[in-house]
Amino acid sequence: MNENVLDQSQIVSAGSASTKEEAIREAGAILLGVGAVTDGYLAFMLEREAMTSTYMGNLLAIPHGTNEGKDTILRSALSFVRYAAPIDWDGNEVRFVVGIAGKEGGHMEILSKIAIIFSDEDEVKKLLDADSAATMLELLGDVNE
Amino acid sequence: MTTTSTTQTGEVNAQPGWRVGVQRFGAFLSGMIMPNISAFIAWGLITAFFIPTGWTPNESLAELVGPMIIFLLPLLIANTAGRMVYGTRGGVVASIGTMGVIVGTDIPMFIGAMIVGPLAAYLIKQVDKIWAGKIKPGFEMLVDNFAAGILGMLVALGAFFGIAPAVTALSNAIGAAVDFLVTAGLLPLASLLIEPGKVLFLNNAINQGILTPLGVQESTEFGKSILFLLEANPGPGLGLLAAFMFFGTGIAKASAPGAIIIQFLGGIHEIYFPYVLMKPILIAAMIGGGMTGIAINVAFGSGLRAPASPGSIFAVLINTPTDSYVGVVLSVIGAASVSFIIAAIILRASRKRDLELLESGSDGLVAGAAKMNDLKGKESSVTSTLFAGAGTTQTKISNIVFACDAGMGSSAMGASVLRNKLTKAGVEGVTVTNMSIANLDGTEDLIITHADLTERARQKNGRAAHISVDNFMSSPKYDEVVSLVTEQQL
Repeated sequence: MNENVLDQSQIVSAGSASTKEEAIREAGAILLGVGAVTDGYLAFMLEREAMTSTYMGNLLAIPHGTNEGKDTILRSALSFVRYAAPIDWDGNEVRFVVGIAGKEGGHMEILSKIAIIFSDEDEVKKLLDADSAATMLELLGDVNE
Repeated sequence: MTTTSTTQTGEVNAQPGWRVGVQRFGAFLSGMIMPNISAFIAWGLITAFFIPTGWTPNESLAELVGPMIIFLLPLLIANTAGRMVYGTRGGVVASIGTMGVIVGTDIPMFIGAMIVGPLAAYLIKQVDKIWAGKIKPGFEMLVDNFAAGILGMLVALGAFFGIAPAVTALSNAIGAAVDFLVTAGLLPLASLLIEPGKVLFLNNAINQGILTPLGVQESTEFGKSILFLLEANPGPGLGLLAAFMFFGTGIAKASAPGAIIIQFLGGIHEIYFPYVLMKPILIAAMIGGGMTGIAINVAFGSGLRAPASPGSIFAVLINTPTDSYVGVVLSVIGAASVSFIIAAIILRASRKRDLELLESGSDGLVAGAAKMNDLKGKESSVTSTLFAGAGTTQTKISNIVFACDAGMGSSAMGASVLRNKLTKAGVEGVTVTNMSIANLDGTEDLIITHADLTERARQKNGRAAHISVDNFMSSPKYDEVVSLVTEQQL
């Protein structure tokens, strides 16, 4: 693939959203901005969130579209936004929001790396303490490989 | 894997290794045949009705008969076997490979399917391992599809050149040996070859290729020939199926009465072959029955005027000359009785184990290969006790599935985390996958879902153990699963 699934430009170290819906919009806007999805995708992300929370645990939420919305995905990409203040995600604290656009499973490997990183609380702590998007990308490891 | 889970009986550990091996092999055979029994029944009915000598001959519909037994049935068996070894992907490669043996010969290739199917699936499983996790994202599908396609082609070629001629040679050898025994006058001994040959679907090769020509010769000379009865006597099959009807388990038991009609009245002997194939020791019953039938006919000097085709009781009686009625009827009854008694003893002896098998869900619809590896020491009501205490579990967990609504996000992440933990714990032989709840197919041993979705998952697979988690990233339940699985590996 000629474009990385997660580029540094898709990582935001200090997101501006303060509610769940704003955070989903912020995540979706990044995906739209890099041309990974059409502007129809956001509606599917919100719809998916309404079905079941995408809160994963360990301060992480992973908003993504529904199966029906997959035509609005142009290529696999992720967005990664960190928030200084916890966002209330259906009663859970969320500091990291990973927006997912998955096409033909191309995002799975990266997603699984992110999952493994987030399952380790020490790694989560490091991500919280990271001083820049570049450091965060480094911590996430060579996710694009 | 020869490890067994801790069981309360201790019986498992006392069994010698070879016996466990034989049981597993038997379970594997049964697993690849049994789910397809309905296809055999459909084929048997079509054949009994529509072939020229059938109940309601119909030339056009009779054209179903050939392709179904040449292609459909072997491919179904190959696919089922492949799935048991390596899921859907294994099934696909197994089917491709089996085409090689099918096209390579003229005889129905059941034995070929039963060899090539599992082998092909095993090969693709090994090949996949070579580059598992090393492919750049986005290329997995390309590599996967071409790997399976190319391997399938190679297996088909190998089977065409290797296995098909071997099976043909086997068929010819059996034919030649039968020919020898007949010529030497050692007729009852012919059953030793005819019966195994039959259940490998070499029945037509033996009957029409060897026995019928010789029989016709004899018949023109003496007005009758015993050779027409060597293979076509419906007695042994009747006895076997009747034994299943009374002492069998599960689908085999339930389908036996219908199979009797197709076999005994319809003359389609093929219908009972799967029952023998899934428990090969039953061949002893068939041989015993066959020998008895032949011996009786020899004693009474009875035979048929012409080939009984198909080998139904009606075709047999129609072709029986008046001086042979007693002998022929007795030979059918005698053969059926002997095969019934032997089969009944065998089925009785293994009944308890078969029932356990049945309860653990290995009968019927495709049971996973993983489960096949672990047939013993299983109890049916395992789920509720699963996490009561790690040591008390009876089910060996080898197929863990994370399920979520779409199967693209949270379940994938949960599966990654657990897989990572299992790898770190040095656990092998346990697969962790993710899918949408809609795709659960009943072969899962343990299903992990978000608390909101557990009920839905339970409806799809009530047999598996279910775990609900709220936190996919670091649920304490993961560690319980890891320690449980680790313990089971010991």
